[in-house]
Amino acid sequence: MDLPAGTRNHNYAEDMSIFRTKTHWFLLIVLLVVLFTAPLWFGNYWLSVANLIGITIISVTGLNILTGYCGQLSIGHAGFMAVGAYTSVVLTTRFNLPFLAGLICGGIMAGIVGMIFGIPSLRVKGFYLAISTIAAQAIIIWVIRGWTDVTGGYAGLEAGPASIGNLILKSQTAEFFLILTITIIAIFAAKNLVRTRVGRAFVAIRDNDLAAEVMGINLFRYKLTAFFIGCFFAGVAGALLAHTNRLASPEYFAFTNSVLYIGMMIIGGLGTTIGPIFGVIFFQLLNVLVTKLSPALQSAFPHLPGGFTSGIAPTLFGLAIILFLIFEPRGLAHRWQLFKSSYRLWPFSY
Amino acid sequence: MKTKKLLLFMSVTLAVILLATPFLMSCGPKVADTTKVLKIGMMTPSTGPVPEKGIPGQHGIQDAMEYINNELGGAGGYKIEVSWRDSAYDPAKVATIVQDFMNEGDILFTTHSSSEMKMAQGKANEAGFPGLATFISTMNLHPAQHIYGPTPDYGDDFVALIKYYMENIWEGTGKPKVALHLLSGSVGAGTLDGANAMAEELGIEIVATEYHAITTTSEIESLTRIKALNPDVLLISGVPASTAIIIENAKTLEMYPGTTIMCASASFTKSLVDIVTAQSGADAIEGVYGVFHTVSWEDDAPGIAKAREYCQKNHPEDYGNMDYLSTWATCLVIREILATAVKNAGYEVLAQGGAAAWKAVEEQGIQKVKGYDVEGLQGGTITYTAGDNRLDNYLRIYRVTNGKIVALGEWEPAPLIKYPQYGDE
Amino acid sequence: MSMLVQFVITGLAIGMIYSLIALGFVVVWKSSGVANLSLGQLVLLSSWFTYSMLVQAGLPFYLGIPLVVIFAIILGWIIERIILRPLIAQPILSLITVTLGLAYFIEGIVVIIWPLSQAYLPRFFPTEPIHIGSAVVTQEYLWAAVISLVLFILLSLYFRYNRMGIAMRATADDQKAVQACGIPVTKIFSRSWMFACVLSAIGGILMSSIGGIRPGLVETGLLAFSVVILGGLDSFVGAMIAGPIIGLVETVGSGYLANFIKWPEIRTVIPFIIIVIVMCIKPYGLFGENRIERI
Repeated sequence: MDLPAGTRNHNYAEDMSIFRTKTHWFLLIVLLVVLFTAPLWFGNYWLSVANLIGITIISVTGLNILTGYCGQLSIGHAGFMAVGAYTSVVLTTRFNLPFLAGLICGGIMAGIVGMIFGIPSLRVKGFYLAISTIAAQAIIIWVIRGWTDVTGGYAGLEAGPASIGNLILKSQTAEFFLILTITIIAIFAAKNLVRTRVGRAFVAIRDNDLAAEVMGINLFRYKLTAFFIGCFFAGVAGALLAHTNRLASPEYFAFTNSVLYIGMMIIGGLGTTIGPIFGVIFFQLLNVLVTKLSPALQSAFPHLPGGFTSGIAPTLFGLAIILFLIFEPRGLAHRWQLFKSSYRLWPFSY
Repeated sequence: MKTKKLLLFMSVTLAVILLATPFLMSCGPKVADTTKVLKIGMMTPSTGPVPEKGIPGQHGIQDAMEYINNELGGAGGYKIEVSWRDSAYDPAKVATIVQDFMNEGDILFTTHSSSEMKMAQGKANEAGFPGLATFISTMNLHPAQHIYGPTPDYGDDFVALIKYYMENIWEGTGKPKVALHLLSGSVGAGTLDGANAMAEELGIEIVATEYHAITTTSEIESLTRIKALNPDVLLISGVPASTAIIIENAKTLEMYPGTTIMCASASFTKSLVDIVTAQSGADAIEGVYGVFHTVSWEDDAPGIAKAREYCQKNHPEDYGNMDYLSTWATCLVIREILATAVKNAGYEVLAQGGAAAWKAVEEQGIQKVKGYDVEGLQGGTITYTAGDNRLDNYLRIYRVTNGKIVALGEWEPAPLIKYPQYGDE
Repeated sequence: MSMLVQFVITGLAIGMIYSLIALGFVVVWKSSGVANLSLGQLVLLSSWFTYSMLVQAGLPFYLGIPLVVIFAIILGWIIERIILRPLIAQPILSLITVTLGLAYFIEGIVVIIWPLSQAYLPRFFPTEPIHIGSAVVTQEYLWAAVISLVLFILLSLYFRYNRMGIAMRATADDQKAVQACGIPVTKIFSRSWMFACVLSAIGGILMSSIGGIRPGLVETGLLAFSVVILGGLDSFVGAMIAGPIIGLVETVGSGYLANFIKWPEIRTVIPFIIIVIVMCIKPYGLFGENRIERI
């Protein structure tokens, strides 16, 4: 933890605190105030973008714990989101469970399914594991499509709006507050998790699993724990997505989404808590920019090829992933670190 | 040092721009519209897995709107302004597009396919935002909410095809054996709903229900199973490309001729004939039956002349395409709806957009339209009856004869079917 | 019985094409240890390029096909030089994700250049079906099977006898030792990507001349992964044998299972179920090498 000059830690609590100085606290409060008053100056459109960003941050944070910290690459994250979404929707609509209980059950169910598909991780890693998570995604989506009695098949399941007690969160503003709160809790939980024994065990497994085992880390336990936690986040995100869209449909959880989540994580910075936030915001704003600008470009330059509008988004996303991996493998989070340290030293940077 | 400073400067600028975009775009002065228009949103799947439907549909919208605004003077004296989007058949995209339509003050929206509508209808129904799908499935219309079909749905396709078969083709005794080959998705589900509800009543036996993916490349394996059951009818409900694969494979397995092949309306268009002809020769598609909800290009309907004229002027490659004609008809229906709404509720209510305008369009527009004949392009007349969100309910059987889609027989009414699984009583 | 024969023949024929594409994966894995997840997209891209040459530009076969092969070679060179060379010695995670990024990029480019999203190639082989007993198979599948077999033999011979091929095997075994021997490792990586692209181009041409160029081609890339997992990542023989096995299990399995399990499209999920089973029982495949790691 790099601190401003002159700040010293006198006890353990100070050493461990995330927000150490007054400036930290001030900035945190400003940020929270800005975020919680956002509906006042955000239009409906930006509110819906913000909601999507929040949900994606939750999911990518989970992926980051699994892949960024524990080193288990999962290309089936959207599949685990689907498990959470359907569990929550089935429980709330058929068994009349309250929304929050459904949300947590969705997360737990996704975590359990994740653990089952994580079992091969004990024997294989790297590419093998990646392929088995692709298989997990394909199998999960197939089950959802086929098991029509429970999941409604292709028609999907209609989901009720989120609610807390008697308060029904139907409007976009209400949903924004809900998603924002859960996102903040998720980020905070992730930040703290990786500072515990479990988190350090994850990092050890990522860096060298054989060495970790020799050090006395139970690989079986920690790898499955990583799968459970990562997929729990995914499940919660999936449930939120279904309830805010009022529909759980297999189409929301396509394979391409799983790939994009990895892209967002890479761009943000693997193995940092702040990374997923940067990555997701970067991606979604790029997406907004592309969808808003490309029709205008298309009409301004009629000689552009016909598929420009729809092809430019994947092209740019793919390019972003490649360029980040080549030129800034540590992602935007690393840039943010550099910026922070140079800001602290400015104007006397040496 | 210089590069570092430059980098810092650039990243700060970038961050500022990224952060400022939302504020600029939401707070910026709204450009006032000087002309009075009626704004609607329309989407087609022009890229993605089904461009063979989306692109002609998109062209149909462009040409029909040009015709409506230039020759018919818009709806009720106001020009119709379309904000068109490519949905790419992508559910996440559809959801954001619908949100966009609602935010930008559109008073009505359309999708081309039932799947897009399925993805859109959750939000639209909740907000009371009225929508129409050119091709519509049972799950969009039942229970009746704020989504309407300008034509009958896929369940009605099944009934019309089988009715025709029983009356005109079936000569044996007992129940004919029908094999279904369904696109997994709302298209196939609609046909299956119709089959489950009506097979008993129509006196047929469903011997096989196979599914295919929208991107399928070979269906030899599923057709082998169907062939072993020796069905009298193979009823395919898919999109043109997948239906073409199934017809070609059925030909390879020598099921055809022999088994009668029938296609539901989502696939029965010129692209189907073109694809099969290009791949396997013209005789592979010859004699295939299909059902459709508009007239064919060869008919002498009063409105077809304009469609032919605009199509040949702007998009000659779509000549003969049923998707083009379907969206053309849908645009005419929309014009009638908006004209009725302007007459009953007044322009001011509609112009403000939002929930009040949507309610006006639905209650003073869609539900008040009576006896509009769509310039003769559809079988019946556009009339709303309470509880039935299909605005027209007539279908006609077609057959591929000498490489052309030729109409057989008269328009058949499609009575409303109740689907308890979607909450109908 | 006639059904079984039909399923077996269809499965074997389709499986041979899977093998061909899987070979492209094995070549790269064997020499550079990069897991190429953009296989399906490479197939799609080269199919579209073939379409441009043969249909849009109207070139004859003897001119068009060599041009496609040259295009594939250049493509392989570019991919290796620009994208993978900067990532040499990076963790496997980066190597996998960069190919995912590449896959996404190619998909976008394909949509931009060829917005049609489906088209049909002229047919190269006679289309009359051949009757084997009571079963029917289109001749094209047989031709495709023969071509994949020939390519497999050529590739095996190359890796066994050609100096460069031997060097490629050696590189896979121990990069540092090979460098110490004075063999240019980068040249070998570049060569392996060219091979991979040519193989996927040929696979693409064969598949799209049978079923048309469609977005579904990308999914065959995923199927090829189940082939390499079953056969073992670094084994040509494995890929060659596992392809028909996957094809067989897919058609025969779903052919009979579909009577009991009414969930749609069981065929598409069978390869993935195989992956999970193989992963639990014999994670390194039938012919793959289980490398022992040291700290």
